[in-house]
Amino acid sequence: MISREEVLNLATLARLKLGEGEVAALQKDISSILEYVGQVSAVEGKGIKATPQSHNVMRLDVPYKEGAMMLGKRDVLLKAFPVREGDYNVVRKIIQKDE
Amino acid sequence: MSNLAELSITEAGEKLIAGEITSLQLAEACLAEIEKREGAIHAYLEVFADVREQAKHADERRAAGENHPLLGIPLAIKDNILIEGRVASAASKMLENYVAAYDATIIQKLKDAGAVFIGRTNMDEFAHGSSTENSAFGPTKNPHDESRVPGGSSGGSAAAVAGCMALGALGTDTGGSIREPASFTGLVGLKPTYGAVSRSGLIAMGSSLDQAGPLTRTVEDAELIFNVIKGKDTLDSTTIDEETYPKRSAGKKIGVPRHLLQDGLDRDVLERFESSLDTLRAGGYEIVDVELPLSGLALAVYYVIMPAEVSTNLARFDGVRYGLSRKGDSLFEDYAKTRGEGFGPEARRRIMLGTYVLSAGYYDAYFGKATSARRELRAEVERVLSSVDLIATPTTTSAATKIGEKTEDPLAMYLLDIFTVTANLTGNPAISVPMGTVEREGKELPVGIQFTAAHGDEAALFAAGKALQ
Repeated sequence: MISREEVLNLATLARLKLGEGEVAALQKDISSILEYVGQVSAVEGKGIKATPQSHNVMRLDVPYKEGAMMLGKRDVLLKAFPVREGDYNVVRKIIQKDE
Repeated sequence: MSNLAELSITEAGEKLIAGEITSLQLAEACLAEIEKREGAIHAYLEVFADVREQAKHADERRAAGENHPLLGIPLAIKDNILIEGRVASAASKMLENYVAAYDATIIQKLKDAGAVFIGRTNMDEFAHGSSTENSAFGPTKNPHDESRVPGGSSGGSAAAVAGCMALGALGTDTGGSIREPASFTGLVGLKPTYGAVSRSGLIAMGSSLDQAGPLTRTVEDAELIFNVIKGKDTLDSTTIDEETYPKRSAGKKIGVPRHLLQDGLDRDVLERFESSLDTLRAGGYEIVDVELPLSGLALAVYYVIMPAEVSTNLARFDGVRYGLSRKGDSLFEDYAKTRGEGFGPEARRRIMLGTYVLSAGYYDAYFGKATSARRELRAEVERVLSSVDLIATPTTTSAATKIGEKTEDPLAMYLLDIFTVTANLTGNPAISVPMGTVEREGKELPVGIQFTAAHGDEAALFAAGKALQ
């Protein structure tokens, strides 16, 4: 079974605040799911990252009609901001002076 | 005239073209059913206030000379497909008040055709689930037995059509989310070839797996909607065109992987499957045994790749630009609180699992191995489909389960997808078509047969499906 610390570390990596009691439940659930999906390690090969079947999807560098999809949508996008001041999206200041 | 809401799209379209009925009458018939049943079924997260206006507009377009087969047809739309100006929440608290800024390409195509949108349908949150019990807004009930689930994650779409609250619906399918609910509610459900249908404007789950497709009462209806929504799209670079896969000549040879049907399958489900094969034989199909040794691994591969892609796709929901936003004492706390409160338990579980299989030290053992196995699996399916035209299995191992029956054990819930995930991993098109009913506690519950065809060969799916109707 994966440890409490591992679950907490995953939650930090995933930026998730877990509820009380959820850690123990996730230890159990994740362990049983991992045990099941562990079958994949029996597959031959060493996890070679084979090249996906691919083709060029780059478009020509010219104006095209569909590219204008968001034209005229400015107000809708502004309205979606969780905290708004005028036309600005208010976000937390992340560069701070060392104390 | 019997209940218009029970018509197939094709039948309703003919009556509209003949001038026997109006789009407004069709919409009214669906709204009347909603009035009667929606309280108990909960197929919809929102029934749009302007359904009648949309229908009147369709009638005006017809009066002006248009006659597309979908003009004026009332459809239900899964809540992870964007319709401009309307909420698209993916049944999550995270996006409860999110208003779409633009139309998904498939919505634009349906609008051009003149379809009427009845409402947005309930689903497992972010399409994570096989029962619609993971919706943040309460479960949907199966119209055939309200104590049972309609399947998922497109359970609301399935229940809306099966409950005559729409003539057809759009769903999305990442591991069976169209086909499994179609099987549980007696509908036709199509998962098109990967890339056949644009995903611009869909709320992504697993980007190498997702496809949108129809849930309908007949194979003809599914074909009709598919032909409208398919096609290459400059807004989705994964879309394919008609030339991507070689054209195949229409054949009538069906392979059955009998080794997968040995156990874990309800006996009467297997009986319906066998009698469907008999019907197909009578229709000129040849049935042969095929071997798919790797498909036993498909579910394990899926439950590595899918959570990895889910954790990546859901990383965008951080409360900064749109959606739920919660404040803590630091930037980290802002993110963690927003995501902790915005995502439900199953979304959190999948994000955690995806983070695990992608983390340093485990990546090669899980994600790397799963990616290799996926390529082997695709090669295996392609090999089999070089000697037969279709592969057939039951869509699900059983009929619809009871509400609450599998919610305590996530792994048991995952096992519902055992027959459906392969087509998503390999990109093949697959369809679920009704194959009769089985009796459970005095109720007749539908079950479906699944056909899988070669890439780009949806035509073979429709032909086999029609042979069964």
